[in-house]
Amino acid sequence: MAKGSIKMCMQCATCSLVSTCLFRALKYLSQADSRVRAEAKNWPKGKSLKLEIPGARGFTVTGTDQGFQKLPQDAEGDVTIRFKSPADAFRVFTGQISVAQAYAQHKFVLKGNMGIAMPFVRCVDLAEAYLFPAILAKRILKRLPKKEVSSARVYGAVLFGGKLKCPHTTNSSSPQKSSPAWRPLSTSPTN
Amino acid sequence: MEALEHIPHELNTLGAFRPLLLSDEGLEKVGTVATVQAALVQGGMTAVETFCQIPPDSSIQVVNRIAALYRQLGCDSLIAVGGGSVIDTAKGVGMVLSQAGHDLLDAAGAEVLPRGEHVPFVAVPTTAGTGSEATLVAVVNNPETKVKMEFLSYHLLPDVAVLDPRMTETLPPRITASTGFDALVHAIEAATCLQRNPVSDSFAEKAMGQLARALPIVVRSGKDRKARMVMANGSLLAGAAFSNSMVGLVHAIGHALGGVCRVAHGDAMTILLPAVMKYNLDTCRERYGELLLYLAGPEIYAETPAGQRAERTIAFLTDLRQELSDLTGLPTTLTATGKVKKEDFDAVARTALNDGAIIVNPAQADYEDILAILEEVWA
Repeated sequence: MAKGSIKMCMQCATCSLVSTCLFRALKYLSQADSRVRAEAKNWPKGKSLKLEIPGARGFTVTGTDQGFQKLPQDAEGDVTIRFKSPADAFRVFTGQISVAQAYAQHKFVLKGNMGIAMPFVRCVDLAEAYLFPAILAKRILKRLPKKEVSSARVYGAVLFGGKLKCPHTTNSSSPQKSSPAWRPLSTSPTN
Repeated sequence: MEALEHIPHELNTLGAFRPLLLSDEGLEKVGTVATVQAALVQGGMTAVETFCQIPPDSSIQVVNRIAALYRQLGCDSLIAVGGGSVIDTAKGVGMVLSQAGHDLLDAAGAEVLPRGEHVPFVAVPTTAGTGSEATLVAVVNNPETKVKMEFLSYHLLPDVAVLDPRMTETLPPRITASTGFDALVHAIEAATCLQRNPVSDSFAEKAMGQLARALPIVVRSGKDRKARMVMANGSLLAGAAFSNSMVGLVHAIGHALGGVCRVAHGDAMTILLPAVMKYNLDTCRERYGELLLYLAGPEIYAETPAGQRAERTIAFLTDLRQELSDLTGLPTTLTATGKVKKEDFDAVARTALNDGAIIVNPAQADYEDILAILEEVWA
């Protein structure tokens, strides 16, 4: 296999992995961080956003009162963010550039109403602040947001597929029952 | 200078012979539309139909209605005579037609439209402000959501931009000032936003020099055709600048003020620019300092210590704005527009946060930051 193809395969695999992690982080933060929770709650009712990466797995997401929910992989989004190449997505997903920089450098196209994409972009910025080391986040984000929970908890939610309990959930004894957003990722057909 | 008469030739070279002429009622009343129609006749062409019912803030419904009219009449090209609303409406019509669609909302997005069928399109700006004749952006109001929607595609660029000072010489001083300041804001935001690059910088730096010098002249002496032509060129260059780059927070809040409170776009730009520049100052200090050279000239730039140039740039623009306000009554605060209530701030801030221009503003702006800026420009 040519060296370029191997590199592209690795980039696609990384993007698939990171997009899964990103969604899990967003889902957890839509419970644990008041700003992400508000964005999910105020999300235009019934509208969805699809993240597409050529050659890699993306996701389709919608916001609800219970937080961010993933829709089936083949669901069409009312808004689609489509990276132009796996290399472009790789640079964003590995913290080399921010979403804003990617937009400024024409790394992706947007189909649909930008007003739906902007809340998602704000949430991704917040997720990056939790997921990336501070030195990296500071370099790519315009302003480092204050964390409302520890990054370790977000990593936990990412690793354990959302099974980690949210410290802000009032009914902490059975979070899965109290909120559909807390179903373990492994049991959900849409995850 | 007599560029209007070239329109038939330009359309013929594009293979078009049956244009639909778009404009607004105000321009029809003052005779601007008649001037264009006469120029077409002189070049051996007549518009199939002239549609002048485009409102000041065009809407998706108007775009869809014109697209249906175009098909019904069997037209083969568009001529847009007007300011940003008319030209952006024509861009919207072109989008619907080229995609063989019926609803502009289907074409929403950034850089996502395929080329589609080519609809020959001539833009004749009647203000030196929007620069829409040279941009890949169309802003069309969605009355249902009270949001000004942005459409971005390289296929939106008009085939021909016709700059003729006859189109702007009857423009009242107040509108000349407001639209001219809008052009200046295009150049400044294009030169400072995250998307700036050597191409956009070249257009923006040239534009701001021309606009800053010619704007007070045309406001005082509207019949000065030479100065009007400088303004027309400056506006086009500023349009090309932000079309190769983007705008920023002034436009994000300005679009929201337009959508929520119906504040005229140029007025919103005028009111917001100094306050937003102060907000961005820490992030943009070096670049703002460089802009002093193009805005104020080499003498003022050289006599200003490097560490004070950014503040001097903001002061220069504030003084220019005050001069225009003294001459024409141009509003410099939100209260002076008579259209904004403090209760609107929440809706304006929330709408601005979802405007695409905010993403490339150099400094992060959250809900509270936007509220603080609105408070600063309130009175």
